[in-house]
Amino acid sequence: MNVVQFPGRELPHDWQRSEMNALLAACGEQLDKGTVSGWEIGETESGDPQLYLLGPAPDHECILCVSRLGRVYVLEDGQGRVLCEHDALGSLSDQVRHALRHTKASIVARATMVWLAIKETLEERMDPVLGEPVELLSHMAPQLVALV
Amino acid sequence: MHATKTASKAAQARKEAGTWLKELRARAGLSQVELAEKLALKYYTFISQVENGFGRVPTEQIEAWGRALGQEPSSFARRLLSYYDPELHRLLFEVKE
Repeated sequence: MNVVQFPGRELPHDWQRSEMNALLAACGEQLDKGTVSGWEIGETESGDPQLYLLGPAPDHECILCVSRLGRVYVLEDGQGRVLCEHDALGSLSDQVRHALRHTKASIVARATMVWLAIKETLEERMDPVLGEPVELLSHMAPQLVALV
Repeated sequence: MHATKTASKAAQARKEAGTWLKELRARAGLSQVELAEKLALKYYTFISQVENGFGRVPTEQIEAWGRALGQEPSSFARRLLSYYDPELHRLLFEVKE
Protein backbone atom coordinates (compact mmCIF):
# COMPACT_ATOMS: atom_id res chain seq x y z
CA MET A 1 0.00 0.00 0.00
CA ASN A 2 1.28 3.48 -0.79
CA VAL A 3 1.29 5.83 2.15
CA VAL A 4 -0.27 9.16 1.26
CA GLN A 5 2.31 11.93 1.55
CA PHE A 6 1.77 15.64 1.44
CA PRO A 7 4.98 17.36 0.41
CA GLY A 8 3.44 20.74 -0.39
CA ARG A 9 2.30 22.81 2.55
CA GLU A 10 0.12 25.80 1.80
CA LEU A 11 -1.47 26.15 5.21
CA PRO A 12 0.35 27.08 8.42
CA HIS A 13 1.47 24.16 10.59
CA ASP A 14 -0.53 25.09 13.63
CA TRP A 15 -4.24 24.75 14.04
CA GLN A 16 -6.17 27.86 13.23
CA ARG A 17 -8.63 29.23 15.72
CA SER A 18 -11.57 28.62 13.38
CA GLU A 19 -10.57 24.98 12.98
CA MET A 20 -10.18 24.44 16.72
CA ASN A 21 -13.50 26.17 17.42
CA ALA A 22 -15.32 23.97 14.92
CA LEU A 23 -13.73 20.73 16.13
CA LEU A 24 -14.14 21.45 19.82
CA ALA A 25 -17.74 22.54 19.26
CA ALA A 26 -18.32 19.15 17.63
CA CYS A 27 -17.22 17.36 20.78
CA GLY A 28 -18.67 19.87 23.27
CA GLU A 29 -21.58 17.66 24.29
CA GLN A 30 -19.31 14.65 24.89
CA LEU A 31 -16.88 16.86 26.83
CA ASP A 32 -19.75 17.83 29.12
CA LYS A 33 -20.82 14.21 29.51
CA GLY A 34 -17.29 13.00 30.16
CA THR A 35 -17.00 10.67 27.16
CA VAL A 36 -14.24 13.03 26.11
CA SER A 37 -12.10 14.01 29.08
CA GLY A 38 -9.94 16.53 27.29
CA TRP A 39 -7.83 17.21 24.25
CA GLU A 40 -4.24 17.76 23.24
CA ILE A 41 -2.50 18.99 20.16
CA GLY A 42 0.64 17.64 18.58
CA GLU A 43 2.21 17.13 15.20
CA THR A 44 3.66 14.47 12.97
CA GLU A 45 7.34 14.22 12.17
CA SER A 46 6.65 16.35 9.08
CA GLY A 47 4.93 19.01 11.14
CA ASP A 48 1.31 18.22 10.23
CA PRO A 49 -0.93 19.37 13.08
CA GLN A 50 -2.87 16.75 15.03
CA LEU A 51 -5.71 17.07 17.52
CA TYR A 52 -6.17 14.22 19.95
CA LEU A 53 -9.51 13.79 21.70
CA LEU A 54 -8.96 11.87 24.91
CA GLY A 55 -11.20 9.30 26.52
CA PRO A 56 -12.25 9.03 30.15
CA ALA A 57 -9.98 8.68 33.20
CA PRO A 58 -7.88 6.95 34.31
CA ASP A 59 -6.30 6.17 30.92
CA HIS A 60 -7.08 9.40 29.02
CA GLU A 61 -6.26 7.50 25.86
CA CYS A 62 -6.81 8.99 22.41
CA ILE A 63 -10.24 7.99 21.11
CA LEU A 64 -10.20 10.19 18.03
CA CYS A 65 -7.38 11.91 16.19
CA VAL A 66 -7.79 14.63 13.59
CA SER A 67 -4.77 15.36 11.41
CA ARG A 68 -4.48 18.00 8.76
CA LEU A 69 -2.33 16.86 5.86
CA GLY A 70 -2.04 19.65 3.34
CA ARG A 71 -5.65 20.59 2.70
CA VAL A 72 -7.11 17.26 3.74
CA TYR A 73 -8.34 16.40 7.21
CA VAL A 74 -7.96 12.79 8.30
CA LEU A 75 -10.04 11.41 11.15
CA GLU A 76 -8.77 8.23 12.82
CA ASP A 77 -9.83 6.34 15.90
CA GLY A 78 -7.50 5.27 18.69
CA GLN A 79 -6.68 2.06 16.83
CA GLY A 80 -5.48 3.86 13.73
CA ARG A 81 -8.56 3.08 11.65
CA VAL A 82 -9.26 5.85 9.17
CA LEU A 83 -12.86 6.99 9.74
CA CYS A 84 -12.96 9.70 7.11
CA GLU A 85 -10.96 12.05 4.93
CA HIS A 86 -12.38 15.45 4.06
CA ASP A 87 -11.27 18.82 2.83
CA ALA A 88 -14.35 20.53 4.27
CA LEU A 89 -14.20 21.42 7.95
CA GLY A 90 -17.99 21.31 8.32
CA SER A 91 -18.23 17.74 7.05
CA LEU A 92 -15.33 16.73 9.25
CA SER A 93 -17.02 18.20 12.34
CA ASP A 94 -20.16 16.20 11.54
CA GLN A 95 -18.05 13.05 11.29
CA VAL A 96 -16.38 13.84 14.63
CA ARG A 97 -19.81 14.26 16.24
CA HIS A 98 -21.01 11.00 14.70
CA ALA A 99 -17.88 9.08 15.68
CA LEU A 100 -18.08 10.32 19.27
CA ARG A 101 -21.69 9.17 19.56
CA HIS A 102 -20.56 5.77 18.32
CA THR A 103 -17.64 5.77 20.77
CA LYS A 104 -19.99 6.55 23.63
CA ALA A 105 -22.24 3.66 22.62
CA SER A 106 -19.27 1.29 22.58
CA ILE A 107 -18.11 2.49 26.02
CA VAL A 108 -21.62 1.87 27.40
CA ALA A 109 -21.71 -1.57 25.73
CA ARG A 110 -18.33 -2.48 27.23
CA ALA A 111 -19.42 -1.28 30.71
CA THR A 112 -22.62 -3.33 30.42
CA MET A 113 -20.62 -6.44 29.47
CA VAL A 114 -18.35 -5.98 32.50
CA TRP A 115 -21.34 -5.44 34.78
CA LEU A 116 -23.07 -8.58 33.46
CA ALA A 117 -19.89 -10.62 33.92
CA ILE A 118 -19.55 -9.43 37.54
CA LYS A 119 -23.25 -10.09 38.18
CA GLU A 120 -22.96 -13.62 36.78
CA THR A 121 -19.89 -14.37 38.90
CA LEU A 122 -21.61 -13.07 42.02
CA GLU A 123 -24.73 -15.09 41.30
CA GLU A 124 -22.65 -18.23 40.78
CA ARG A 125 -21.00 -17.72 44.16
CA MET A 126 -24.17 -16.69 46.00
CA ASP A 127 -26.48 -19.39 44.60
CA PRO A 128 -25.25 -22.22 46.85
CA VAL A 129 -25.39 -19.94 49.91
CA LEU A 130 -28.87 -18.62 49.13
CA GLY A 131 -30.14 -21.94 47.76
CA GLU A 132 -29.50 -23.89 50.98
CA PRO A 133 -32.10 -22.18 53.23
CA VAL A 134 -34.67 -22.31 50.43
CA GLU A 135 -34.05 -26.03 50.00
CA LEU A 136 -34.28 -26.56 53.77
CA LEU A 137 -37.52 -24.61 53.93
CA SER A 138 -39.06 -26.66 51.13
CA HIS A 139 -38.28 -29.84 53.13
CA MET A 140 -39.53 -28.44 56.42
CA ALA A 141 -42.67 -26.73 55.14
CA PRO A 142 -44.88 -29.87 54.82
CA GLN A 143 -43.84 -30.96 58.32
CA LEU A 144 -44.59 -27.52 59.74
CA VAL A 145 -47.99 -27.57 58.03
CA ALA A 146 -48.67 -30.99 59.53
CA LEU A 147 -47.93 -29.63 63.00
CA VAL A 148 -50.35 -26.73 62.67
CA MET B 1 -3.82 18.39 28.93
CA HIS B 2 -6.81 20.59 28.32
CA ALA B 3 -10.04 20.14 30.28
CA THR B 4 -8.34 17.70 32.64
CA LYS B 5 -5.11 18.61 34.32
CA THR B 6 -4.16 15.24 35.74
CA ALA B 7 -1.63 13.30 33.73
CA SER B 8 -2.36 9.76 34.83
CA LYS B 9 0.25 7.09 35.36
CA ALA B 10 -1.08 5.31 32.28
CA ALA B 11 -0.63 8.44 30.19
CA GLN B 12 2.91 8.88 31.47
CA ALA B 13 3.77 5.25 30.65
CA ARG B 14 2.30 5.66 27.15
CA LYS B 15 4.54 8.69 26.62
CA GLU B 16 7.56 6.61 27.61
CA ALA B 17 6.47 3.85 25.22
CA GLY B 18 6.11 6.44 22.46
CA THR B 19 9.60 7.79 23.08
CA TRP B 20 11.04 4.26 23.02
CA LEU B 21 9.23 3.47 19.76
CA LYS B 22 10.50 6.69 18.22
CA GLU B 23 14.06 5.75 19.22
CA LEU B 24 13.65 2.29 17.68
CA ARG B 25 12.36 3.82 14.46
CA ALA B 26 15.28 6.23 14.31
CA ARG B 27 17.70 3.35 14.94
CA ALA B 28 16.04 1.41 12.11
CA GLY B 29 16.57 4.45 9.87
CA LEU B 30 12.88 4.79 9.05
CA SER B 31 10.73 7.87 8.68
CA GLN B 32 7.12 7.80 9.90
CA VAL B 33 6.05 7.48 6.26
CA GLU B 34 8.36 4.51 5.70
CA LEU B 35 7.18 2.76 8.86
CA ALA B 36 3.55 3.33 7.84
CA GLU B 37 4.39 1.80 4.47
CA LYS B 38 5.87 -1.30 6.12
CA LEU B 39 2.75 -1.60 8.29
CA ALA B 40 0.44 -1.18 5.27
CA LEU B 41 -1.17 1.92 6.77
CA LYS B 42 -2.74 4.46 4.43
CA TYR B 43 -1.46 7.42 6.46
CA TYR B 44 1.51 7.93 8.74
CA THR B 45 -0.56 9.90 11.23
CA PHE B 46 -1.22 6.90 13.48
CA ILE B 47 2.54 6.40 13.92
CA SER B 48 2.68 9.95 15.23
CA GLN B 49 -0.34 9.38 17.51
CA VAL B 50 1.46 6.42 19.12
CA GLU B 51 4.90 8.05 19.29
CA ASN B 52 3.45 11.17 20.88
CA GLY B 53 2.03 8.94 23.60
CA PHE B 54 -1.67 9.40 22.96
CA GLY B 55 -2.38 6.03 21.38
CA ARG B 56 -0.98 2.57 21.81
CA VAL B 57 0.10 -0.11 19.38
CA PRO B 58 -2.97 -2.35 18.91
CA THR B 59 -2.36 -5.89 20.18
CA GLU B 60 -2.99 -7.43 16.77
CA GLN B 61 -0.31 -5.17 15.24
CA ILE B 62 2.44 -5.67 17.83
CA GLU B 63 4.19 -8.41 15.86
CA ALA B 64 4.17 -6.35 12.65
CA TRP B 65 5.49 -3.26 14.46
CA GLY B 66 8.22 -5.31 16.12
CA ARG B 67 9.37 -6.83 12.85
CA ALA B 68 9.18 -3.49 11.01
CA LEU B 69 11.42 -1.97 13.69
CA GLY B 70 13.88 -4.85 13.51
CA GLN B 71 12.92 -6.27 16.88
CA GLU B 72 12.30 -9.83 18.01
CA PRO B 73 8.47 -9.84 18.37
CA SER B 74 8.15 -11.53 21.78
CA SER B 75 10.69 -9.32 23.57
CA PHE B 76 9.21 -6.30 21.78
CA ALA B 77 5.74 -7.30 23.02
CA ARG B 78 7.07 -7.85 26.53
CA ARG B 79 8.66 -4.40 26.63
CA LEU B 80 5.47 -2.80 25.29
CA LEU B 81 3.41 -4.63 27.92
CA SER B 82 5.64 -3.16 30.63
CA TYR B 83 4.43 0.29 29.51
CA TYR B 84 0.85 -0.45 28.57
CA ASP B 85 -0.06 -2.84 31.41
CA PRO B 86 2.70 -2.77 34.04
CA GLU B 87 0.70 -4.79 36.57
CA LEU B 88 0.15 -7.67 34.13
CA HIS B 89 3.81 -7.46 33.12
CA ARG B 90 4.82 -7.67 36.78
CA LEU B 91 2.63 -10.72 37.40
CA LEU B 92 3.79 -12.51 34.26
CA PHE B 93 7.48 -11.76 34.28
CA GLU B 94 8.57 -10.40 37.64
CA VAL B 95 6.68 -12.25 40.38
CA LYS B 96 8.42 -15.50 41.32
CA GLU B 97 6.49 -18.53 42.58
